[in-house]
Amino acid sequence: MWEQINILLVDDDPAEELILGSLMSKVKNYRIKMHYCGDIDSATSFLKDNSNIFMVLLDNRLGPGEDFRATAPKLRQAGFIGPIGVISSSLTDPYFQKIEDYGADFRLDKAEFDPTAVEFIIREYRGQTEPSE
Amino acid sequence: MLEGKDVGTSNNNWCVSDYYGELSKALNRVDFFRIFHAIALKHKFDHFMILKLFSDSATPTLSDQLELHDLPPGLAEEYDARFSFGESRLFKTLQDATLPTKWTDNDTSKDLLMQQLGFEFALCLPVHGANGSRFAFIFLGDRDAPELAETQELYYNAGYCFDFYFRNVLANKKGMGLTAREMEILKWISHGKTASEIALIVSVSEHTVNSHTATILKKLDVVNRTQMVAKAIREQIIS
Repeated sequence: MWEQINILLVDDDPAEELILGSLMSKVKNYRIKMHYCGDIDSATSFLKDNSNIFMVLLDNRLGPGEDFRATAPKLRQAGFIGPIGVISSSLTDPYFQKIEDYGADFRLDKAEFDPTAVEFIIREYRGQTEPSE
Repeated sequence: MLEGKDVGTSNNNWCVSDYYGELSKALNRVDFFRIFHAIALKHKFDHFMILKLFSDSATPTLSDQLELHDLPPGLAEEYDARFSFGESRLFKTLQDATLPTKWTDNDTSKDLLMQQLGFEFALCLPVHGANGSRFAFIFLGDRDAPELAETQELYYNAGYCFDFYFRNVLANKKGMGLTAREMEILKWISHGKTASEIALIVSVSEHTVNSHTATILKKLDVVNRTQMVAKAIREQIIS
């Protein structure tokens, strides 16, 4: 039986839900259920109501002048402690070197999204357990 | 910034310049995974794996020796359930020599590993970290053996890229100072908070808290969180 992984996509472009949803369906060994929110406020509400979300994929720019430096902390303030991945069509801006300072865990170019990368990320972030006392 | 950056930015068409910008910005295992995965695909391989060539076990398994890889999920575990990786000719050869080697599935007199894993070809490129620890970059796929020039390019790139990976991800940072974020996490650990509680307080993921905790353990050269706090108090890192 494949394990179900719940992933929340936060992106202001609904087409991305279709594109990433299609890609997620090709991931082997995990049954991915993708949820979608189009803005950060609905995402924080969704996370408060759904504690089973394993990971959030956060589009860098959800609106004019609003990048992950403003939105990722809002997800943390909503109590989400799972991995947050920032996705963007370009990772060249210098602030992408500071993802951890804003509560994000990794960044991924949308062009690099493939089933192998998704499988690796799930394995990477599911595998680590709390160090022993 | 590294001395010798010019090596990666020369006009030589087989140097690592394509990756230098990415390597110098890579922050974590996901970033290095992206780079190594891209190198494998660029050269028409299906997968890569970085293998540790040292083991504390008398019977090393493929799963235990894998440091970073993009193999299909479960493949290494399935292999280990049926075969002994420590007995494979490929692993033994990597123990005995530092030469790049090529392995195919149709030369079963040499090794059965390729057949057992289900790949037609593998290129093994031994590399090492600054402390001398040995690893191997292995590219796998259903392609023909590369010509000498492409092998040289991959060998050069593997060594170049691994050095970045080793220094940024694998190097033991024992003795180095704690960062501000590590100090903050150490303080909350000393207050008895769990990783999930610290994640909420500090506004990062639980994974990040655990990652910082593992780094603090290394830097303080201790084995658990109790000893970590005791040593931090003893050394007056926290009061």
